[in-house]
Amino acid sequence: MDNKTIETISYLARLQLGDDKKEKITKDLENIINFVDELQNIDTDDIAPLANPLEKIAPKREDSVTSKSRKEAFLLNSPESDQNYFIVPKVVE
Amino acid sequence: MNIRFKTLSELKKLLETKEISSCELVSETFKNIASSKTNSFITLDEERSLIKARAFDEGKIKGDLAGIPIAQKDLFCTKNLRTTCGSRILENFIPPYDATVVENLNAAGSICVGKTNMDEFAMGSSNETSYYGTVKNPWDFERVPGGSSGGSAAAVSEGLICAATGTDTGGSIRQPAALCGITGIKPTYGRASRWGMIAFASSLDQAGTFARNAEDCALLLNHICSHDTKDSTSISDEQENYLENIDDDLKGKKIGIVKEFDISNLNKEVQDSFEESKKIFEALGVNFVEVSLPNIKLSVPTYYVVAPAECSSNLSRFDGVKYGYRANNINNLEELYIKSRSEGFGDEVKRRILIGTYVLSAGFYDAYYKKAQQSRRMIKNDFMEAFKDVDIIMSPSSPSSAFKIGSKTEDPIEMYLEDLFTISANLAGVPAMSIPHGFAYGLPIGLQLMGNYLEESKILNFAHQYQKNSDWHIKSPNLEEIS
Repeated sequence: MDNKTIETISYLARLQLGDDKKEKITKDLENIINFVDELQNIDTDDIAPLANPLEKIAPKREDSVTSKSRKEAFLLNSPESDQNYFIVPKVVE
Repeated sequence: MNIRFKTLSELKKLLETKEISSCELVSETFKNIASSKTNSFITLDEERSLIKARAFDEGKIKGDLAGIPIAQKDLFCTKNLRTTCGSRILENFIPPYDATVVENLNAAGSICVGKTNMDEFAMGSSNETSYYGTVKNPWDFERVPGGSSGGSAAAVSEGLICAATGTDTGGSIRQPAALCGITGIKPTYGRASRWGMIAFASSLDQAGTFARNAEDCALLLNHICSHDTKDSTSISDEQENYLENIDDDLKGKKIGIVKEFDISNLNKEVQDSFEESKKIFEALGVNFVEVSLPNIKLSVPTYYVVAPAECSSNLSRFDGVKYGYRANNINNLEELYIKSRSEGFGDEVKRRILIGTYVLSAGFYDAYYKKAQQSRRMIKNDFMEAFKDVDIIMSPSSPSSAFKIGSKTEDPIEMYLEDLFTISANLAGVPAMSIPHGFAYGLPIGLQLMGNYLEESKILNFAHQYQKNSDWHIKSPNLEEIS
């Protein structure tokens, strides 16, 4: 786990690590990855991955409207909104 | 009337016989909460609670739990009541809807008095990662209550409330129940709806409850569990009445003891309590059988790939745009994402997002995530094999009793090993509970009972019979001594 890897995954996760925390987090991640590396030693040939303990297929439902639009209620929680829109910094020059 | 430490069933009876009104019950509850020093609650809802209590007293609210004050873990969305998930990023989040579990408990007439403290986004085993401060264990204020549902467990343990909801992704109900000396249950994955539960690791997350005994847990589960079309993993099988078989005779039934769980290196009091508990069951006619879960040692590493991977994906929704915290002085959209997330999340959450991002990144996916999903199947198969021979499986809930605040925060792996005994039930998706069964270093410890899929009734039956023949669940912290 080198500096470059940490920088890459931090960027992928859109997180910035403070300089004071970088060293500790790097060390922690290295230890955790070493810890889970135990999995590399097991024989998993012919074992299908298990994504969900129930292994059920998501049920289908009728494509119909079940609740009414509550746009105003949801927009109330946004840090910045204007009428029907969430406001973010300008993305197109 | 002193209502502290009364069980849900006792309070129900007092309301039925009109020995107490719901208004008195609710007022008394808020009085107790105001004098509490455990920091169990993040947000209270006094005004609306009193309105509901009055409505009950006027005969306007009916239901199985009518008029009873309960608390909700701050991970369940509650309509018009702040829901923080223990994080700064949701400090001002007021959900416009109720989680299904909340809706169900409201429909049964219970009164939600407030939201309990928890590890940030349920990531932790000590409640120390909460943005709203550590919760103190009511048995010893210098110690942790366990986590992540630490506030719910402490509130019930301290007698502030007779019941509180929790969620369990790797042990977040069972470990704090054990460390606080109360009863807690996590049903089968999919038995309770996850709609409105703020997601951490979706293939592991499950709602459940804390109470003072197994009987109350059964009553609560009858309402918490339901089939919900809003959750695609919700189980549609007919739901049992969990109280129906709770008094069944245990004669001739079998409990499995896991060969691979070596408890000989645990504290002597933990070992002795385990042996004593076996004797209680033996006296009830239960037989003990050794079962093997050969891949159980892979549980913790498997979990620490699966859970962070799913967390990194789930928590990508927090971006400072639609709801939650937004950083100031932003120049462009990318900076808005990065700054809002970096300032909004705490260290443990960041750590897990980063591990998740790493194990899911190109080139590593097969080596970690796929491998962990394969080992998860091996663990599940072990359980299925074991349950062919036994009714339930029994183990300690956690390696020891509550540890000192701050003693495990430096080393994440040491903290992760707190969930050594609990994690496998989440990976397999089976129901599991913790009941108090002794003390180590003068602090409560728990006994874990795990059942096969949809056999909540069975573990509740074993737990109830145990509690009819022991008094560990009746013990409560001496609040005068520690305050």
